[in-house]
Amino acid sequence: MSGRVRENMPDYKKDKKRVDGRKMDELRPLSIKVGVIPNADGSAYLEWGQNKVYAAVYGPREALPKHTQNPLKANIKVTYRMATFSVPERKQPRPNRRDMEISKVLGEALDKAVFTEQFPNTEIAVFVEVIDSNAGSRVACLTAASCAMADAGIPMKDMVAATGVGKAFGELIVDLNKDEEDAFDAVDIPFAILPNTKEIVLLQMDGLLKKSEWSEIAKLGYVACEKIYEIQKKALSEKYQLSEVSQKLIEDKSVSKSGEKDSAKIKKESKGKAKKVRK
Amino acid sequence: MSKKVVIPGELISAERKRLGSNVFVSGGKIYSKVLGISEDESEKASVVPLEGRYSPQQDDVVIGVVTRAIFAGYNININSFVESFIPKSAMRDDLKVGDLVSAKVEYVNELREADLGFARRMYGGEVIEVSPVRTPRLIGKSGSMLELLKQGTGCDIIIGKNGRVWARNGNIELLKKIVLFINDNSFKSNLTNSVEEFFKAEGIPVSAPKKDAIRVNNFVEESEVIVNDLEESELLN
Repeated sequence: MSGRVRENMPDYKKDKKRVDGRKMDELRPLSIKVGVIPNADGSAYLEWGQNKVYAAVYGPREALPKHTQNPLKANIKVTYRMATFSVPERKQPRPNRRDMEISKVLGEALDKAVFTEQFPNTEIAVFVEVIDSNAGSRVACLTAASCAMADAGIPMKDMVAATGVGKAFGELIVDLNKDEEDAFDAVDIPFAILPNTKEIVLLQMDGLLKKSEWSEIAKLGYVACEKIYEIQKKALSEKYQLSEVSQKLIEDKSVSKSGEKDSAKIKKESKGKAKKVRK
Repeated sequence: MSKKVVIPGELISAERKRLGSNVFVSGGKIYSKVLGISEDESEKASVVPLEGRYSPQQDDVVIGVVTRAIFAGYNININSFVESFIPKSAMRDDLKVGDLVSAKVEYVNELREADLGFARRMYGGEVIEVSPVRTPRLIGKSGSMLELLKQGTGCDIIIGKNGRVWARNGNIELLKKIVLFINDNSFKSNLTNSVEEFFKAEGIPVSAPKKDAIRVNNFVEESEVIVNDLEESELLN
């Protein structure tokens, strides 16, 4: 479609900069906070560019109705929902084809990460709610959901880190926004991996791509997912960091203790001497 | 410090070690299964979880609530994935829906269903709900924390491993405050000392429990000091 040229159309090959000023492999600002919903077993709130997502995890709990139970593993039941005000035009609140599809693929991606066989006959219910969206909401949901699952204490092989990768305005890019997703040559690929094993757990594609371009894009995706994994890691461990005041108290203590340690060392040395004497 | 927070899938050790709880081996390396705290200097690779649901283990003391009474027996909610059943023949007194029961888990099958034994009805008292993975901190090393709580509040306390703390008599309001304090700060070290200070701030005199019990709970540095002391006493003898 490159023959169709419009005025004022960005050209990334020439501009070396994206419409929102990012570099080609730069993510939108991402922040995650875990443990935001007290009634849930685990929860997370994520802001990724303009995307705002809540994720809540309940369970493992008894799967009901009983015929849904699997005596060999736990079911992971994801409910993806978009708030009516999350998009420019009001979204019908009833779950549509897209919502059901996203729920299904997110559940399958999380299933790869969880030790489901530890919890027979149970279900793990994950609810993701999109409050505001601007392209890439399914990867935002997956990133948030995996944080919420870890926060719920569910045994997992690994976290799931996800990002959008693809092509727009003639250049391969990471984390597309809405303008880029609507580009004339747009290719949007939601891409999710388990960072340890580099296993791909979610991969969909919109648009057309050359084989050589795909191998380039995959490389970009792995690098971006590593960055996201680091942010997830920080968000989860931050919840259990000591407050600044008590941290300082402990440091003060350790300072005074190190003084004691020195004296202990001296003692030890003297003991060594004593032992030698004894021998 | 040797303790650190690990997330699921984080590397615990690249060496061969004895396997403890909440870890798995992949490609010869040991990884964490859950969000928790690991000690990298210990000989055993294990993770103490920070969050999670109760899954019954043999010999756990649990506190249950009767949810259904039928002719044959009672359904008991023990905060697990499935409810447990106690036949009427195993109970001395009749139960009603909503009654509290303390029991011991006698057997857990492969579907994680628990058989309960030694069930007793509990009269009066209150139940405080906490996170099941944090109950060990309420008990403390060799029961030091529990001893402190009993001393400070004058309550009769039973701590169910399923995250329910039953208490009767004494200053229950104060106990609630402290139990929730411990629940919120379970990942910090030196909890017994801070709870002692908590009591002192309330104006309640508590004497520290057994010396060795506190020392075990403290930082690594202090245990080193103990070792040094021991060596010294050996020398003297």
